[in-house]
Amino acid sequence: MSDVVRILVAALGGEGGGVLTSWIVAAARAAGKEVQATSVPGVAQRTGSTSYYIEIAEPGQGAVFSLVPLPARIDVVLASELVEAARCMAGGFVSPDLTTLIASTNRVYSTAEKIKLGDGRYSENKMREAAQAMARTAHLLDLDALATANRTFISATMFGALMGADVLPWSDEVSLSVIGGNQASIDGARAAAEAVRNPMHAPDATAAAPAAMHLEGLPPEVQTIVGHGHDRTVDFQDAAYGQDYLTHVAGLAAVTDMADHRAVYALSEAARRLALWMAYEDVARVADLKTRPERFARIRDEAEVTPDQVLWVTEYLKPRAEEVADILPVGLGAWVMRRVARGRGLPFTGRGVHIRSNGVFGYRLLRLVAGMGRWRRRSFRFRAEMEDIAQWLEAMRTALGRDAGFASVLAELPRVLKGYSDTQQRGKAAYSKIMHGIVLPAIAAGQEAQTAQTLRHAVAAALADEDHAALDAILSGAEAPDPRIPNLRSA
Amino acid sequence: MEVSFAKEIEKLKLGDGETFEGEGILAVTKALLQSGVSYIGGYQGAPVSHLIDVMVQAAPQMAELGVHVEPCTNEASAAAMLGASIMYPVRGAVTWKSIVGTNVAADALSNLASPGVMGGTLIVVGEDFGEGSSVIQERTHAFAMKSTLCLMDPRPNLTSIVNAVETSFELSEASNTPVMMELRIRACHVQGSFQAKDNVAADISMTQLLAEPAPHVYEQLAHPPATFGHERKKSGERMQAARDFIRDRGLNELFEGRMHKDVGLIVQGGLYNALMRALEELGLADAAGNCDLPIMALNVVYPLVPDEITAFVEGKRAVMVLEEGQPEFIENEIGTILRRAGCDVTLAGKDIMPLAGEYSAPVLLEGVGAFLRRHLPSLGNVLGEQDYDAEVQGLKEQAARLLGAPVPPRPPGFCTGCPERPFFSALKLTEREIGKVHYSADIGCHAFATFAPFNFGNSILGYGMSLASNASVASFQKKPPLAVMGDGGFWHNGLLSGVASRLLNGGDGVLVIMKNGYTSATGTQEVISSPDPALKLKAAEKSATHGETTIEDALKGVGVKWQRTVHTYGVAKMRDTLLEAFRSPFKGLKVIVAEGECQLERQRRIKPIRAKALAAGERVARDRFGIDEDTCTGDHSCIRLSGCPTLTVKPASDPLKTDPVAHVTNGCVGCGLCGEVAHAATLCPSFWKATIISNPTWWDRAKARFSATLARGTVA
Repeated sequence: MSDVVRILVAALGGEGGGVLTSWIVAAARAAGKEVQATSVPGVAQRTGSTSYYIEIAEPGQGAVFSLVPLPARIDVVLASELVEAARCMAGGFVSPDLTTLIASTNRVYSTAEKIKLGDGRYSENKMREAAQAMARTAHLLDLDALATANRTFISATMFGALMGADVLPWSDEVSLSVIGGNQASIDGARAAAEAVRNPMHAPDATAAAPAAMHLEGLPPEVQTIVGHGHDRTVDFQDAAYGQDYLTHVAGLAAVTDMADHRAVYALSEAARRLALWMAYEDVARVADLKTRPERFARIRDEAEVTPDQVLWVTEYLKPRAEEVADILPVGLGAWVMRRVARGRGLPFTGRGVHIRSNGVFGYRLLRLVAGMGRWRRRSFRFRAEMEDIAQWLEAMRTALGRDAGFASVLAELPRVLKGYSDTQQRGKAAYSKIMHGIVLPAIAAGQEAQTAQTLRHAVAAALADEDHAALDAILSGAEAPDPRIPNLRSA
Repeated sequence: MEVSFAKEIEKLKLGDGETFEGEGILAVTKALLQSGVSYIGGYQGAPVSHLIDVMVQAAPQMAELGVHVEPCTNEASAAAMLGASIMYPVRGAVTWKSIVGTNVAADALSNLASPGVMGGTLIVVGEDFGEGSSVIQERTHAFAMKSTLCLMDPRPNLTSIVNAVETSFELSEASNTPVMMELRIRACHVQGSFQAKDNVAADISMTQLLAEPAPHVYEQLAHPPATFGHERKKSGERMQAARDFIRDRGLNELFEGRMHKDVGLIVQGGLYNALMRALEELGLADAAGNCDLPIMALNVVYPLVPDEITAFVEGKRAVMVLEEGQPEFIENEIGTILRRAGCDVTLAGKDIMPLAGEYSAPVLLEGVGAFLRRHLPSLGNVLGEQDYDAEVQGLKEQAARLLGAPVPPRPPGFCTGCPERPFFSALKLTEREIGKVHYSADIGCHAFATFAPFNFGNSILGYGMSLASNASVASFQKKPPLAVMGDGGFWHNGLLSGVASRLLNGGDGVLVIMKNGYTSATGTQEVISSPDPALKLKAAEKSATHGETTIEDALKGVGVKWQRTVHTYGVAKMRDTLLEAFRSPFKGLKVIVAEGECQLERQRRIKPIRAKALAAGERVARDRFGIDEDTCTGDHSCIRLSGCPTLTVKPASDPLKTDPVAHVTNGCVGCGLCGEVAHAATLCPSFWKATIISNPTWWDRAKARFSATLARGTVA
């Protein structure tokens, strides 16, 4: 219909979309085309989604350029991030008849996705499938990783990907000529163009296989998880503790109908949650994990520390009296907790401390704390956790024998036990509310099948918000509170 | 200032016959110089901030031309600058963001328009009704009508915009009327080109001084009884002169249609390109702008020229007026013109088009299609606009189906390392202790705290108005209300409207002033309390606003009895100070100055310092935060208290964990908020700080070797 090339760039504020746009404009001018580009960002609009729009025409036509992209009439959509590509699709800008979609597959999670207690991430698979279905041609590749590999910015690899998609009415040389003297950007652009022209499929990363583990008669997917769980519990305490874990799992497996895939799923999830629960994070565990050589290696790697640089690692710790009580012997721990309940703590606790964990003093101190794990079986928290675990296991065994649907949600319940200090207290409160308000009454009444849906909603609600408004609404049997003017005094 | 315009300033020097290539707002700047202005002023705000920035950075070049440049403290002072042209034949231009800026400037505009101007005056305003707009949607048009100003709305290409600037001065002088020009955000940011002309030095300027002031002419004062004469003149002879100029110079453009001469479209110049794209889609125009329908593009939308309107509608059955925003001032004026002329042509406009919202090409497509269907059925019934609509709807539905859930929103937020974020973490922790408080929000970066994860704010009432807006809230609430404003808002308005008024009336309340040193949201322009070069040099990598006390001195000067200054990164201290303010027995205004220099400015200073030190082989220490994946349980409390872009999530590499774990990306600038929040909120032990020392000294290396020996476990 029109020989104007229309390019929509979707990016995040501060990512260099302006630089990319100026390259496209400069290249068009260098190729003797007429070009117009616009954008909407204010000067300081950062991190939010933003867009740039470019129209290119052959010279001498007196083309009237549009300042606004027209849905379904875009030749190229170039997105710096996967959700931004999805936003363009949702807006109707990607058409199977016309649009070449180039999208970087890296994710920059939005706040809405990050703040959930559990997993609030938008489905990546669906975005990929939608891109393949909705674009005339879809080029999906990680342009951010390519930029990092070439020590440049994503604007350069986006520009290169645009070259590689063969949609620009000029040669690569013209495009590269406008980048200027920055060799890293030129290399990045070339690499991206090559990656678009000759896509290669990177092999999927495979998780390291757990130590060999056999429990008679377990399906392979359960065996994998049990293997990891065994490793974890041995690492947490000792071989005997690992054996305890296996015994618990065997107890659950004995009542699982292996022919029912829902029951098998419930078993595998229970095995997963049990291992994480049994390897709970007390101060000894945290100190142990923080002083392992592989951890310091990981930090060196993550912070890109070179051998000629010196690295110091500082820990931000704030042990309260509660955390001290956790690791003390039962009687002593109970005494400390009584003091805490009366509003009195312990000296030297509840203060933020900075500990240099790769310094001599800090390291030795943390190793000393880690060593307290040896007496963990006699500790205050250990006994409390074991009691809760026993109660949950008992409920799991009953549920597995009666209703696989209920059992599979009950297996997920320990997921609400997250975090430390206040967050952990809130998780425990939610757990207790659900256990005593829904699970135990349902089991006592033999109403598992009828209660499965409520339990599912309750677990989801406990993971939805921090103050448990949604959970309380479900427990009280009411619908979500009706929207009212907040703080309006009731008569 | 955030952006360097060194290259653009070179473009301002282009001469006759050379081609200017660049951004719309820079083309306006160049056109001002080609018009021989004596002075330029304004107040920053999207989309016209770049105009101010370029002017300030190009001050030396401006001085060569004798142009006085003044970044004003608010729009009222910018508008008042135009008073220079009342009694002197000097051209001047000012700029601001409409509609908010025009509201602030309104008093000065009324008093300027009343006596009228001798020298040409131009007010360039940013105006928007769409995605790019960050303020309430109201029309500048109303101000042009009520104060009798001319209003330009040129077609959005650089040649048209530059021509409009140049003719605005002539129009202003021909009619003794100030002229406004509205530019939509995409027109301000448009990349295009035009043929430049030589710059013109003004006859009266910084370099061409007048020996004597203007005479006292009472008739030129906006003071009764002279104002009664002004009213007659501005609506009578001045407007007539303006209409004559507009008609004689052909400022409005007529595009004869190739066919269908019995209908016509009258469009604001600024909407012309979107209309052409819509008509192209309807098959009624080609890409070069050749159109089947007659179009009248109004580059001057106020005043209209009745003869032009009646001539255009002659022989037509129906015309449609396309104007953005409401009410439909142009359509109403055209209706009056036609009725008075006894024309019986059918007038269409907002009866078909939406009253509100941006007139993008799809909106125009649908509206023009409906108009033609009704008034030119032979053509309307074969148009494809409904097919297009169905196609777009189909694509949207398909995407929604495939994606399965609404795409998560992504509003703008605080930058990585922003010193305002820690304040809001502290406020969240404060509310854990005392419950929610009434929060009056303001305009500025801190308004990002209205978004997740902070979700603060009960009302926003304008720039620098937060404190004033809760004056009576205090009277019916147990807890004192909280107002937050930036230093930009404080100097724009907040000191007088908020602080002075509260002190005069002895009201209770807590005011927090974010002292980051600049008007950061508009691109870090300077305010009166910006740290001076000496402070910046002394601060080096630290916050340069520490020790700058202009705000504190002003507060003390007007009589604030309770004030504290707290560095924002002391999260626990900030929380305790807030608690103290809310629990204080002192009933009166309590002010907390939340100090922390804008990270953009600080990073801009740090980067060259560090690069230079590294190149010279000097010791450089850099901090970066991280999270231990092993101990992170994936509850994301830290994210809910921070919202930092670099504090994000990643899939757990632990095969047992299904929820994503928290993660700090390499964009971390080591601001330290993570650690402060972990401590203040007793969050979790997963945060670590890596201090990386480049070019370590022998002492650094010795300490590292000593530790590696005695803490052997730290080495893999």
